[in-house]
Amino acid sequence: MVRTFNNGDQIPEPVTRIDRLIHEPSRYTLMAYLYVVEVADFLFLLRQTGMTWGNLSAHLGKLEVAGYVVIEKEFLGKKPHTTVRLTDEGRNAFEEYRGNMKRVLDNLPTK
Amino acid sequence: MVADVNLKEIQRKVYMTFFQDGLWDIFLGLFILGWGLSILTEAAYLPGVFFTGIYFTIWGIKKWLTYPRIGYVRFSATSRRRITARFLILGTAVLLLGVMAAVLWGIGTRPQWLADYFPLIFNGMLAAIVCFVAYWARVNRFYLHAALIFLGAVFHLWLGTRWEFGFIGAGGIIVLIGLGILISFLRKYPKMVEEVHGEDLQ
Repeated sequence: MVRTFNNGDQIPEPVTRIDRLIHEPSRYTLMAYLYVVEVADFLFLLRQTGMTWGNLSAHLGKLEVAGYVVIEKEFLGKKPHTTVRLTDEGRNAFEEYRGNMKRVLDNLPTK
Repeated sequence: MVADVNLKEIQRKVYMTFFQDGLWDIFLGLFILGWGLSILTEAAYLPGVFFTGIYFTIWGIKKWLTYPRIGYVRFSATSRRRITARFLILGTAVLLLGVMAAVLWGIGTRPQWLADYFPLIFNGMLAAIVCFVAYWARVNRFYLHAALIFLGAVFHLWLGTRWEFGFIGAGGIIVLIGLGILISFLRKYPKMVEEVHGEDLQ
């Protein structure tokens, strides 16, 4: 399906294929951190991204619903410990997102 | 591209968390101290004992001190293999350096220039290994540690101080730097417990 702007101009295809779930800056940051490691725990992601617990939990929840991450909860003694890792689907989606963004930015007209 | 630069920067930030707590500086400082004590006491096994003992202790301390403050991350299998390979190369280089030192120093007849400049050569090679760590890990303060190690030999040659005191001095300063970083790290990152339903579990 060809998508158009309000003025009728056709929206370039890579733009229409950008994954809006990943495109949100906080989720993009989370996906980027998870992409460069195998597993990270909640505390690590919290420290690196500067989010609050609630914010982090909400974003990861959305990514989990989409099948991009797997969240595993355990207890170390009496302390909860949550680890997160990208699924293969999440890894592919992130790579596709990066590819689409690259195409969009490469196709921007030069001044 | 912006996306690629950001990803590399993120990967670098993740690697840097390895060195945030100053424990590897303390490890290096104690290892250099071990070299100095080894020369002082003529106990050739001391550097090996220090290296092995402290290396495994560091990981235990990280689990107790560091991970509850900045969290835990496991690198991909490829990255872990790369890191392990580099540690093995470093360990082998240090071992070979030690063996070379023992052999050359033990030889009865050696050229005069070697006898005169051996500390400079040895310290220079040790400093080069530390520079390799600084380059690989992109931890610039390790270049300072390398310079301190090399300066020990310089002071020995030009000021006449004892060679082992250069190691002990450099090692001591590096340990103090590491302790300073560790104290700063502990202040900056208090222990945190995951929130459950919005409440902290203590």
